[in-house]
Amino acid sequence: MDVGRAGEQPESWEKVVRKLRRRMMPPPGRPRPDEATYDALVSYLETSLDRSAAASPHPGRTDTFHRLTRAEYQNAIRDLLALDVDVSALLPNDDVSHGFDNVGVGAFSPTLLERYLAAAQKVSRLAVGSPPPSPASYVVVLPADLTQEDHFDGLPFGTRGGTMVRHTFPQDGGYDIQIRLSRDRNENVEGLTEPHQVELTLDGTRVQLFTVKPNRNQSGTYYADEAVDKDLKIRVSMKAGPHELGVAFLRKTFALPETERQPYTAHFNMDRHPRIQPAVYSVSIAGPFDAAGTADLSTFRQAQGRPEPSRGTTSSRSSQARSSDDTPSRHRLFVCRPSSTGGATSASTDAACARTIVSTLARRAYRRPVTDADLEAPLAFYKEARADGGFDAGIEMALRAILASTEFLFRIERDPPNVAPNTAYRVSDVDLASRLSFFLWSSVPDDELLGLAIAGKLKQPAVMEQQVRRMLADPRSHALVTNFAGQWLYLRNLAAANPDARMFPDFDDNLRQGFRRETELFFESIVKEDHNVLDLLRANFTYVNERLARHYGIPNVYGSRFRRVTLPEDSVRGGLLGQGSVLTVTSYANRTSPVLRGKWILENILGSPPPPPPPNVPPLGDNTRGGKVLTMRERMAQHRVNPACSGCHQLMDPTGLSMENFDAIGRWRTRSEAGTAVDSSGGLPDGSAFEGVAGLRKALLARPELFVTTLTEKLLTYALGRGVEYYDARAVRTIMRDARSNGYRFSSLVLGVVNSTPFQMRSSQ
Amino acid sequence: MIITRMALPRRTFLHGVGAALALPLLDAMVPAMSAMAQTAASPVRRLGFVYIPMGMNAAAWTPKAEGLISELSSSLGPLMPFLDQVTVVTNLEIRNAYTTGNHASANCAFLSCARAKRTEGTDYQLGTTVDQMAAQAIGRDTPIPSLEIGTDLIAQVGNCDNGYACAYQNNLSWSSPTTPLPTEADPRVVFERLFGDGGKPERRRAELRKSGSILDWMTADMARLRRELGPGDRTRVNEYLDSVREVERRIQKAEQQGDVTPVPDLERPANVPAVWEDHVKLMCDLQVLALQTDMTRVITFQLARETSTRTYPQIGVPEPHHPVSHHTNDPEKLAKLARINAYHVSLFAYLVGKLQATPDGDGSLLDHTIYLLGSGMGNPDIHNHTNLPIVLAGGRTSKLRGGRHIRYEQPNPLANLHLTLLDKVGVHLESFVDSSGKVADLEPLGV
Repeated sequence: MDVGRAGEQPESWEKVVRKLRRRMMPPPGRPRPDEATYDALVSYLETSLDRSAAASPHPGRTDTFHRLTRAEYQNAIRDLLALDVDVSALLPNDDVSHGFDNVGVGAFSPTLLERYLAAAQKVSRLAVGSPPPSPASYVVVLPADLTQEDHFDGLPFGTRGGTMVRHTFPQDGGYDIQIRLSRDRNENVEGLTEPHQVELTLDGTRVQLFTVKPNRNQSGTYYADEAVDKDLKIRVSMKAGPHELGVAFLRKTFALPETERQPYTAHFNMDRHPRIQPAVYSVSIAGPFDAAGTADLSTFRQAQGRPEPSRGTTSSRSSQARSSDDTPSRHRLFVCRPSSTGGATSASTDAACARTIVSTLARRAYRRPVTDADLEAPLAFYKEARADGGFDAGIEMALRAILASTEFLFRIERDPPNVAPNTAYRVSDVDLASRLSFFLWSSVPDDELLGLAIAGKLKQPAVMEQQVRRMLADPRSHALVTNFAGQWLYLRNLAAANPDARMFPDFDDNLRQGFRRETELFFESIVKEDHNVLDLLRANFTYVNERLARHYGIPNVYGSRFRRVTLPEDSVRGGLLGQGSVLTVTSYANRTSPVLRGKWILENILGSPPPPPPPNVPPLGDNTRGGKVLTMRERMAQHRVNPACSGCHQLMDPTGLSMENFDAIGRWRTRSEAGTAVDSSGGLPDGSAFEGVAGLRKALLARPELFVTTLTEKLLTYALGRGVEYYDARAVRTIMRDARSNGYRFSSLVLGVVNSTPFQMRSSQ
Repeated sequence: MIITRMALPRRTFLHGVGAALALPLLDAMVPAMSAMAQTAASPVRRLGFVYIPMGMNAAAWTPKAEGLISELSSSLGPLMPFLDQVTVVTNLEIRNAYTTGNHASANCAFLSCARAKRTEGTDYQLGTTVDQMAAQAIGRDTPIPSLEIGTDLIAQVGNCDNGYACAYQNNLSWSSPTTPLPTEADPRVVFERLFGDGGKPERRRAELRKSGSILDWMTADMARLRRELGPGDRTRVNEYLDSVREVERRIQKAEQQGDVTPVPDLERPANVPAVWEDHVKLMCDLQVLALQTDMTRVITFQLARETSTRTYPQIGVPEPHHPVSHHTNDPEKLAKLARINAYHVSLFAYLVGKLQATPDGDGSLLDHTIYLLGSGMGNPDIHNHTNLPIVLAGGRTSKLRGGRHIRYEQPNPLANLHLTLLDKVGVHLESFVDSSGKVADLEPLGV
């Protein structure tokens, strides 16, 4: 390799630059140059690499076919049809590549196709509001480890526990709502020692107040609670469309029960920390059944001898005045109505209206202008189904076909005609609109964005910037939090985190959800307030509710609502590295893992994932030495003695060990699992050494460009739906440099990505 | 952990509607007019594969005796009631699973015996798996050629193996070297794949016809797409077209099936059971149901994923599976690994028991089915792929007689077994990937 001709061998030299920037070359322990020499060499190499890259731009080639991922499908349905669907029941998981599930989504197996066909059928039925094949049941089961002793955010004040179910009712009709209470392994209702009241609300209005009473002593058998919750059931008359169903217990004032054990916050485990009061196990909604004979809400209230509650009257009246024609999805879908004069509608006026509906829909769903040829088939489907089942059935069938079409299910980027092979070309405005909306919203473009693209204005930098800022401010950009950050930071794995119940008796679903919520709110604040992205590591604020605050040892926070708190100067919590979510997903169920934590930092913060372990790694030796159990640090040291392991573990382990003051669920500790004092000295691959997470944070911030580069590469991977390659290095450096002059604001990174060569351009085949 | 009677059907399994509410699902589901009754004369051969991750503790797994045996080992103990239908095979290996991503390749080479191309992109390259070879033959006659199910609901992010795309670690079945088949863990979804989302047979047929006409249009539409695209992208479109044709075939099959065997009005499983063991058993129940109604004849079931960190406090193993599997020959960890193995085997025994208890033609469903239980990893501590845990169950009508332990002196390719299983179900191949012959010993002595 010739340093003087680095620009001619970018693939190798970009790797060198990477190692030098991270000071991973030469390896620790070997003589290394001073900082000035490092910087001079890096800057020399980057300049020559950039010069030759600029001379022949290589934007890379994104896959021609990008199938919509689960999250994208769900959001697209929301935006096309104003319909919230539970996509996990419709489509399988997408496999992750390069850390994101929107990378490498070209495969389309028969099984997958079947699922998309079935999804199209269900979604179109629900959107139009036609009858389901049979009454169906929808059951929400609450997590078994959810503590329900306190108030939940979003449920009425004065209640505790329970859940809020948002459900789209397919049709007007009667629905059975059944509440079941949580039972222990002996089938007895947990925590039921005295009568309790369960409140059922619909769209904020109380529908019923049930009373449950213990009757364990009456029948004398072991399974005595058999029938306790059987009457927590009511048939209600519902209008089609989305409704909110709240189930919660009325809160009792009660003194803290005395206990000889340590009082835990978690209450769900029969043996260790039982429920003090009963809890909701599940809420099921079954129907529709014939509306005839079922009590409508107002008559039901009269029968109960209660007046209409004053609060919520407006909403309840409006919901009752609502005909099934007025669901949000019908409103969105039926952009015109067949003209009915005296009840008679003619096929031709119907056809004109159907054409309007179908072309509006197809344009949004296909994310481009539609031609007559595009409409031919959907309209033929409309016509055939209309003949059998009327106008709505016709529209439903046309919708079903569009939702199953390749043009909807795939983003297809076609090379323009007459472009020579292997040539970089500018992506069309229309394709750019989709790139933008799937990047920022994980969904289809809205009418404004698509309109600008079709008019050919989107390529104008000012228009582009204005759109990016508008889209970031739009609530749909929440997808950056759930979809991008959820994957980048491994937040999605939280749902599968089940810390050992014996070692962490106070862990419950409330805490798990709290962890996720904290990081989501935190990341969202970075996006919405357009922070310097380094605040992700160093912010002096975070979001907690009482439960999480107590977990972290933050005083004076009460109640279930999450709020922003400013952290004291010396807090260990500022930034992602102090958040329970990150600390838990990088731990095992029963202990911390310096290896997993070190790897997480290397991969997600420093952007230098360790190389794979060699094949046939010899096993680590015994866990003990001279009869004494080794500490984590001693075990790790053993890791690094073995030359086959040391190459990588000396990169990962010291980094992870510096976070040892956080236990496997993110609590601060000074003693390890083994009972010995925590030694949190650590280091980074650049050879720096420090003490604890504060030292780690400082060391990471000493080279801010590494973190920003990593975040840029993650954003670029996610935005393009492909892995970042050596030929993208110049684009990444450009984004970095421009962002630096804008104080590393989040929007400056996003704008950098959007304006970059790989985002704006593509290589032909 | 004690699972009380009734708990499953009443509280998690069945939340149906109307009068059927009180009935346990499987009783309500047994189709009185099953196709089986009409096909008793020709025994249907079916294949099932159950994957356990991260190998085993070989000492506790391997039966002491060889040849005809009367005792199993401690880990295989739960299979004792079915000993006469169980064969243990020791010292099979997968050479192609030795890679730098040993967990990914253990999973994906288990049924393919092929070497995975190292990539994180879409350009996967593996091999067609044995179940899919079978499905392409014996699956042609059923509405669903094969069923791929598992128990892991969350798509893990960031934890896939060293530069190998997660597809390798997540999916056991590959219908072609480039097409992984998604693994479904939601019992309700599996149920709906098998039996639709309910309603009367006429309506189900009408829905099938509508899907059929949408597929016709997709075919035409893809032909247009193919003309618009360059040669490289056309290959992709051709793959899509194959998928469309395959689904068309399935729909035709389902329509025919609907004529012959009206699927009874069934209740749907309501949700995913909160307790893992309940979830596994429910997935086993669904397998029995799918085979019994002849909706499919080929099933792969990933009991858990490679590198799973699931803990098993219910059997006294509160430590996560993956770190336990790196046992470093520590006797305590080895004992725990053996306990996890035995627990997984007991869940397999549950499935085998159900199959045996289900009458089918002239015998039981187990007689007409061969199930292979195993892992693509042998000793998980060193990530090797030799001396794999392998157990066969069932298959009496395929002349598979159990009660035996076959042990090879030298490692033999697992592909030999796959080749033999294919032979059993009527797919006669010369070789399968790196096979060196068939497992002749599987034939009963003196037949």
